[in-house]
Amino acid sequence: MHTEEIGLWALSSYYALLIIPLGLMIWLRIPIIGKTLSAVARMTLQLLFVGFYLQIVFSLNSPWINGLWLVVMVAVADFSIVRGCGLRLRRFLFPLFMALVGGTALPLLVFVGPLLNRPMLMDAQYVIPIGGMILGNCLRADIIGIRSFYEAMNQREKAFLYTLSQGARLHEAIRPYLRHACRAALLPTVATMATIGLVALPGMMTGVILGGADPMTAIKYQISIMIAIFTGTSITVVLAILMSVRGSFGPYGILDPLAFRS
Amino acid sequence: MRSMKRLEAERATCLHGKTGSAPAIEMKNIVVRFEAKTVLDGFSLRLMPGEKLVLTGESGVGKSTVLKCILGFVIPAEGEIFIQGKRLTHDSVWTLRTLLSYVPQEPELGDGTLHEWFRSPFFFRANTSLRNNLDRLPGFLERFSLSQELLHKEVGALSGGEKQRAALISAILLERKIFLLDEPTSALDSKNGKKVLEFLFANPDVSILAVSHDHAFLDEADRVVELSARGGKNAY
Repeated sequence: MHTEEIGLWALSSYYALLIIPLGLMIWLRIPIIGKTLSAVARMTLQLLFVGFYLQIVFSLNSPWINGLWLVVMVAVADFSIVRGCGLRLRRFLFPLFMALVGGTALPLLVFVGPLLNRPMLMDAQYVIPIGGMILGNCLRADIIGIRSFYEAMNQREKAFLYTLSQGARLHEAIRPYLRHACRAALLPTVATMATIGLVALPGMMTGVILGGADPMTAIKYQISIMIAIFTGTSITVVLAILMSVRGSFGPYGILDPLAFRS
Repeated sequence: MRSMKRLEAERATCLHGKTGSAPAIEMKNIVVRFEAKTVLDGFSLRLMPGEKLVLTGESGVGKSTVLKCILGFVIPAEGEIFIQGKRLTHDSVWTLRTLLSYVPQEPELGDGTLHEWFRSPFFFRANTSLRNNLDRLPGFLERFSLSQELLHKEVGALSGGEKQRAALISAILLERKIFLLDEPTSALDSKNGKKVLEFLFANPDVSILAVSHDHAFLDEADRVVELSARGGKNAY
C-alpha cells in the first residue's frame, strides 16, 4: 500500500480555495463568515492536535492507551449529545455515556475480532478509526433520536397523559414516542445504505482506496462498516432514550421540566 | 314530613355513600401552586361510591386541576389524596390510575386509526384481562351515534364531538368504577349530550366527578360544588 504524501506548502496553498466560498458569502451577504473562519481554524487546530497525538498512540500501540483514547472519544461525544439535546449534564452524562459504550463496543469488537481476525482486539490501526466512525454516527443519531423523542413528548403531552390515565405504565406510554424517535434517528443511515456508491463514494471506501488497496477490498470494508454503523446507532439510540427516561420523568410518570436546560 | 325524610336520606347518601364503604375519592387540604399563583388553597373533597358530583365555577379556579391531582398529573404542594381508601403516592399511583376513567375536555388521541386507538389500551398490562370488552365496541358506537366507518378513519381527522364520544366509549370499555370527566359534553350537541348523560348517570355502581357547565349535568348530579377563586371551597 502507498499513499501520496501532501506537502506542507501544498496544503497551505490549498487553503486559498476557501476564498471562493468566502467571496460568495460576502457577495450574497450570508452572515456566517465569522463562524466559518472560526470553524476552519478549529478544524485545523483540532486535527493537528489529534494527528500529533495519534502518531504517539500508533507508535506505542498499547491496548490500555488505545482503550483510554476510545474512552476519551466516547466522553467527548457524550458531552456533545447532552449539550446538543439541552439536557442537564449531571443527570444525563453517565447514562448516555453507558449507552454510547454499549452501542459502540459491540460492533467495534466484532469488527476487529471475528471479522478482521486481528490478534490484538485493541489494535490502534483498527479500533481508533473504526471506533471513531461508529461513534461519530452514534453521536449524530443520538442527538436526532433524543431531540425527536422529547420534542414529540412536549408536543403531545396531552395524548401521553391520556395514555397514562388509561392504565399504561411509563414504558408502555412512551412506546409511540420511542418508535417515532428511533425512526427519525435511523432513517438517515437507512437512506445512506440505500444510495451508497450511487451518489458518492463513501468515506471508508475512499480511504482504503487512497491507502492503495484494490476496490473490492475497499467495498468489503465499506459493507462491514455500514453494518457496524447501523448496528451501533440502533443500539445506542434505543439505550440512550431508555436510559435518559429514568432521569427525565418524575416518579408519577410526568416529564420533569428540571431535566432540561431550557 | 316526607320531604324531610327525603332530605335526610340524601344527606346520608352524600356523607356516607350509597354503599356505606370508603369514599371513592377523598382529597384533604390540597394546596396547588403554579409558580407564584395558588390555584387550590386547602381544598377538600369527598366523593362517595356511586355518587355523581359536578364541579362548577369560573375559568381558572382550578376545576381541571382537581381532576389532574387525582390522576397524579399535578402533584399538590400540600395535602393528601385517597382513592378507594388508598393513599395516592408515587408508588401507588400506577395501580390507582387503573381504578379511574378519565375523559379530558379535548381528548388528544395520538396517531393511527380510531380502531387502533380503541385497541391500544387493552394491550397495556393492566387491561389485558379486559380485552374481550372490545366485542362490545360496535354496540357502543351505535348507542353514541358514531358510524362503524369511523373506525378506519385517522384519529387526527375526527371532529371534537367524535373524539369526545370515542373517549367516553373507551372509558366505559375499560370498566372503571370512578369516572373523572372534564367537560365531557362540551363538544356534543344536546341530543348526544343527553345520551351520554343518561348512560353515565344510570349506573349506580359508578362514581362520577365531573367538571361541567352543562345544565343537564348540573340538574342530574347528586351534588354540585361551585369552586370559587383560590379553590378554597370544600366539597365534603
